[in-house]
Amino acid sequence: MDYLIFSVSLMLVYIGLAQLLHIQFGLAGIPNFGVVGFWGIGLYGTGVLYVKAGVPLLPAMAMASLLATALAYVLARLVLQRNGQAILAATLAFATIVSTLVVSEKDLTGGVQGLGTIRFPFSDLEQRNLIFMIMLLIVVCALIWISAKLRDSRLGRQLVAIRDNEELAASLGKNTAATKRWVFAITCGLMGLLGGMSAPLHQFLVPYQLSPSLTFAVWIALVLGGKGHNLGAIVGVFVTFGLFDILIETYAPVPAEQAILLPNFKLFCYGVLLVMIIMFRPLGILGVDKPKVRSSTTTPPRELSNASVEKG
Amino acid sequence: MRLEANNLTKAYHTQEVVNIEKVTFGSAGLEGLIGPNGAGKSTLMGLLTRRITPSSGTMKLHIEDKTHPLNPFHSHQVARIGLIKTNQRIQGFDSLTIRDSLRLAATPARAEGFKSLFSGQRDSEEVEEKVARLVEAFPFADRNGYAMSGGEKKLLDILRCLIAEPKLLLMDEPTAGLPEDITRSVMDMVREKVQAGAMRVVVVEHDLPLIWEYCEYVHFLSEGSILFEGAPEEVKANRVVAEKYMGV
Ligand SMILES: Nc1ncnc2c1ncn2[C@@H]1O[C@H](COP(=O)(O)OP(=O)(O)OP(=O)(O)O)[C@@H](O)[C@H]1O
Ligand SMILES: [Mg+2]
Repeated sequence: MDYLIFSVSLMLVYIGLAQLLHIQFGLAGIPNFGVVGFWGIGLYGTGVLYVKAGVPLLPAMAMASLLATALAYVLARLVLQRNGQAILAATLAFATIVSTLVVSEKDLTGGVQGLGTIRFPFSDLEQRNLIFMIMLLIVVCALIWISAKLRDSRLGRQLVAIRDNEELAASLGKNTAATKRWVFAITCGLMGLLGGMSAPLHQFLVPYQLSPSLTFAVWIALVLGGKGHNLGAIVGVFVTFGLFDILIETYAPVPAEQAILLPNFKLFCYGVLLVMIIMFRPLGILGVDKPKVRSSTTTPPRELSNASVEKG
Repeated sequence: MRLEANNLTKAYHTQEVVNIEKVTFGSAGLEGLIGPNGAGKSTLMGLLTRRITPSSGTMKLHIEDKTHPLNPFHSHQVARIGLIKTNQRIQGFDSLTIRDSLRLAATPARAEGFKSLFSGQRDSEEVEEKVARLVEAFPFADRNGYAMSGGEKKLLDILRCLIAEPKLLLMDEPTAGLPEDITRSVMDMVREKVQAGAMRVVVVEHDLPLIWEYCEYVHFLSEGSILFEGAPEEVKANRVVAEKYMGV
């Protein structure tokens, strides 16, 4: 049971990350390949504050997310107005720097020996892991709700316009650079929050957790599910993490000697899935969804057609 | 209203494509800017709206007793003080419908902040009305869908600029790719707004009859420099213009 709660909690973190990536990449067109970096700032930030500085868990998470926001803002200032490849490289590099620093700054992070122990909040309750899973569920639902709100909002429309043709959007008076910067900073900060919330899940932090495979898993999930669909993240994580890491690893009757091959088999399946999706359904399983906007009164055409003919 | 450029130059590598001692737009209601292919008309418009960075020179926009130096501005700031340009080459937002594209242009940037996530209705009645009026005035194949043909995209580009209600609109070859009758209704709509005092317009065109018909003042640009300016009749009669452009 505990293991299931742990797996589901982890899956919720993945869904949250993919949802944020949907905002960054699906809506705003920012290819963030440093997901694990921002998540890692939250994870280790929370860990260090909690273990070394004795800050209570929830404030530690909040502070670590703010740190992730601030770093993302600075990174955005440096690279966000450059082309996609530059952003991709810079965010990937950022994540690498984070994981390198975690290894090298032993005094703070414990280096390769690890950092622990980070306890669940309400640690004297027996159902603490369940309570924490519910907290994660609430956060992730809020993220999904917010991103649906964003899709249907004027800001979301501006993001789509920026993704399609930034120069044109700017020429219509949109401060595209600032919009992108803030959206990026805030969503990265929320990735940091999910990182902070992952700290008590893992209890013990090791630099290995900051490997780029997290970034790739989130990207694969989003691309499979549908980067432009608000529910693409959920579907994507279900067919990857949910299917393989939870269902197959936990419940499939795989003999012990073959079990070590499972991770490789999983990667193989991800690869095949990805190729299939890109070939046959490039927009992902769900495709793209349209803003759901309360249809405003369609103004009757009578007063419309003569507007152009009228002479002043 | 006066849009003024002094000693404005733009060079790509060593090739100077714009070199203008002084030019002023916006004194008349509707002005034309003509010149041969490659004269630098589009480049000049790009410079004035700060989409292109000048090699040297200054640009200023005098508007309602205020003078805005344009050099330090970004392109969105230029648009916000009311200077907007339509595009010669087709540009658009592929994932926005015709209506959404217009709504976007009609929405001021201050209404697009994070708060807009929680406003009940996305667009105000006022915006919807303006959008509906424009969409219904033109024969789009699918008024609730996307701009399909090049012509529709070109038209949408112009309408986006109009709905943003600029004070000074620069139009880069509005007729290119548009059928004659649409061009007419666009230009009539533009003229009507100009006569109502809502905005002033500079049109870049190769379609000279259109220039002669609509413009009160015409600038002639050739090889990056303004060679002649005047009323349409004067420009028509000018020898330099005739030689350099009309191939007489
Ligand atoms: N980005 C660029 N890099 C190099 N040269 C350029 C660039 N943009 C324009 N040019 C050159 O500058 C000159 C002026 O181009 P511009 O587009 O301003 O001309 P134009 O007057 O608008 O012509 P047309 O009537 O054909 O639209 C041309 O010779 C063109 O090749
Ligand atoms: Mg041109």
